[in-house]
Amino acid sequence: MERILKQRDRLLGISARLVGLVCTGASLVLLVLSDPRPILLLLVLPGYAVLVFALVRIGATRAIVWPFVAVVAGLVTAVLVRLGTIGAFDGLIGVPAPFPVAPGTVDAVRLLVAGGIAAVSIVLTISLGRMIGLVAAFGATLITSVVLFSGGDPAIGVVGFSVLAAWTGLTLSGAVLSAGLLRAARRVSSIGRAHRSERQASETEAQRRQGARLLHDTVLATLTLLAHSGVGVSRDALRRQAGDDARLLRQLRLSPSPITMSAGNSDTDGSGDGLKSDSLQAVRARFERLGLDVSWHGAGTVSLRADRLDAFLLALSECLENVRRHSGVGEAHVTITDDEASVRALVTDNGVGFEPAAVPAGKLGYRESIVGRIEEAGGTARVFSAQGSGTTVVLEMPR
Amino acid sequence: MTVAPERDTAAIDLPHRKDLRVRPVIDEPHRRLSNLRFPHLPSERLRSSRTSLGTGFLGIAATLVAVLFLVFDIARFADEWRGYDQPGLAALAWLLLAGLLVVLAVASRTAGDVLDSLVSLGIVGGLGVVVALDAAAVWQSGDLGNDLTAAPAAGMVLLAMVGVRSSRSITAAAGVLGLALIVLLVVSAAQNPLPAAGVVAGIAMIAKAVAPPIVAAWIVHVFRRIISTELERVLVASTTTAPRFSVGMLASEELARLDLAAEQLMDGIASGRTRLPLNPATAQAAAELATELRLHLIEGRRQTWLYHAISESELLGRAVTLSDPESLAGLLDPKQRDGLLQAVWLMLGDSPERSRRSSARVTIEITVGPARPIEGKGRTMHVPIVVQTTGVARGRVDPATWDAMRKVGRHTDSQRGGSLCVEIDCVVDRPAER
Repeated sequence: MERILKQRDRLLGISARLVGLVCTGASLVLLVLSDPRPILLLLVLPGYAVLVFALVRIGATRAIVWPFVAVVAGLVTAVLVRLGTIGAFDGLIGVPAPFPVAPGTVDAVRLLVAGGIAAVSIVLTISLGRMIGLVAAFGATLITSVVLFSGGDPAIGVVGFSVLAAWTGLTLSGAVLSAGLLRAARRVSSIGRAHRSERQASETEAQRRQGARLLHDTVLATLTLLAHSGVGVSRDALRRQAGDDARLLRQLRLSPSPITMSAGNSDTDGSGDGLKSDSLQAVRARFERLGLDVSWHGAGTVSLRADRLDAFLLALSECLENVRRHSGVGEAHVTITDDEASVRALVTDNGVGFEPAAVPAGKLGYRESIVGRIEEAGGTARVFSAQGSGTTVVLEMPR
Repeated sequence: MTVAPERDTAAIDLPHRKDLRVRPVIDEPHRRLSNLRFPHLPSERLRSSRTSLGTGFLGIAATLVAVLFLVFDIARFADEWRGYDQPGLAALAWLLLAGLLVVLAVASRTAGDVLDSLVSLGIVGGLGVVVALDAAAVWQSGDLGNDLTAAPAAGMVLLAMVGVRSSRSITAAAGVLGLALIVLLVVSAAQNPLPAAGVVAGIAMIAKAVAPPIVAAWIVHVFRRIISTELERVLVASTTTAPRFSVGMLASEELARLDLAAEQLMDGIASGRTRLPLNPATAQAAAELATELRLHLIEGRRQTWLYHAISESELLGRAVTLSDPESLAGLLDPKQRDGLLQAVWLMLGDSPERSRRSSARVTIEITVGPARPIEGKGRTMHVPIVVQTTGVARGRVDPATWDAMRKVGRHTDSQRGGSLCVEIDCVVDRPAER
């Protein structure tokens, strides 16, 4: 709040400076154009200079002394300009003032009392003390103007009315500016609150999407196939696979609840209903289509908590994907057994095999997507393999 | 997190709201993969609406001030009624002016905070007619500076528009008005030469027409600048409550975009719209999509709040560079984060009138780490943060900066290469060992 008050004072100061400088400058230009006696200008110039300096300072600091200086300097200048242009200093200047008084000089005074000085009213609305100062400054200006134009000058009406109107208008503008800024600041802070929850929602959304790993794995595999123009897979199978993936992605997009629970909050009821269909059957169907001949043994279904089921199936399909891509053979065996304590899957192939110890640490496929995922969900994965003698992976997941 | 109880419906059905946010992208007809656009970021949406924040309110005040000015001019017009060659034309000009003002008032009330471009162009065109009518009314007298009344008053209608149009367009319109008046004056003076007093009166008349809308436009511009800086600050400040690693507003949008692209591709293949085997371009796109998706799934969560704060903010992003190889900034607690952000904002010098200039000149380099253990304390550690600036003089820094720094930790400051350099010794909780 303190910050916004500071900004408000800055806005008011800048506004007052701008209005004041424009009017003061215009006043000086008008004076020069309508009564260009050098000595008169020399006489009034210091007053203008002090007024300009005070106005510039008003735009930079909130010190009350500068509005005060501006009012005093402005009034003195206005008096000098008026007296000078009606011929009061003719003896001093040596050149008589033009007669009748040029209307431009009246406007020069009017611009001072109803512009250059009146501008301070913009910064004098923000506290009670300042408002008292405002009333005093207004009173002094009004009285000075009336006195200056008394003695039968018909301009008194328009000058008096100008002072009244300008001070009212500028005071009002100052009040509206400050109220408007505070109002907008309140709105901004409520936007900030909304944004904060939006950020959290976005975080959750990203987690949800990143958490849907099984789905993304299939999608990635299909995309890779597509990128290689689907070599080795029938067009029909590829098309059906694409349809399946599109359906799952659609579910991910439209389902309001998290599809996969991440390892951290497994106490949620675990109804990953977005992807219920994507169970063991889906894995079977997928590899059938991809042309890997998998013989399934043992239990036909797997019942696990949602997050563990996900990790289990994910690792299982990753194993089969590895067989398909790297083993050099077209068939694999999967044996699924379960008891009260855990579910196990045994994936074997007779392919080229590899040296588990020789897999570089940075290689993601195996360590991250099989071992990492299973262990994150609380299970274990063991790989038995050697060059040229096939591979066996044992996945075990507690219930 | 603090939530305004009466407002924040977001907290009640967040997932639903997320859905709404993504849907506009989905419902568009199927687009080709190659020209998928980024979905709009929520912060971008806010940014585009920021010009409207509260300036409609200012517009009402501007209208009042304009009416005050107009009272003077009308009085002058009534006073000169007898002197007119064609009082009917001048009266018509005034009627039209009043009509335009009413149209403006009604239109900006109904349009909310931003006035339709067509309506505002119409109003400016109408003002042109006002100027022409008024000039025709007094053309015979030859003293345009003194006799024109409705034409300079056209500037007041521009003044009344200041809250509902951009400051730039108001200034441009005022410039055009000034130019038109100058041309009229010059043409008239060429026909019958003016006395010196007439020239002065002419200049004064033009200044009176043009200055008020330009001054008001500048003030509203400063107002908008303050609000937009404040908005940016508030949006960025939401990062201070993020967890140690977060994905940022961009990542989830990006992931959603990639998922959507994949879905559209798959859908196209499944429905037979896209023929198999894919043509090389689409196959290439699929490969790129897979690569990008893989990257986002694996590496999405290695950035800290500070990184997101800087990359999501236009102002900070331009001026601040961050070096935090160990992601230690994520360990700062919300209060420390808030202090650090505030200090950076203050050092950038967010004073509205010079932010554009200074943010181009001022740069800040934040280096976080490496962490040092604290003797005898196992649960906390030191994280040194070095804030090296260029173009910031020690004496010109807002005093509030030091208060903000104090929230982060003990700090020492020095001058390096003529610019401020602050070293903060920040004490943070040690992250749980894995």
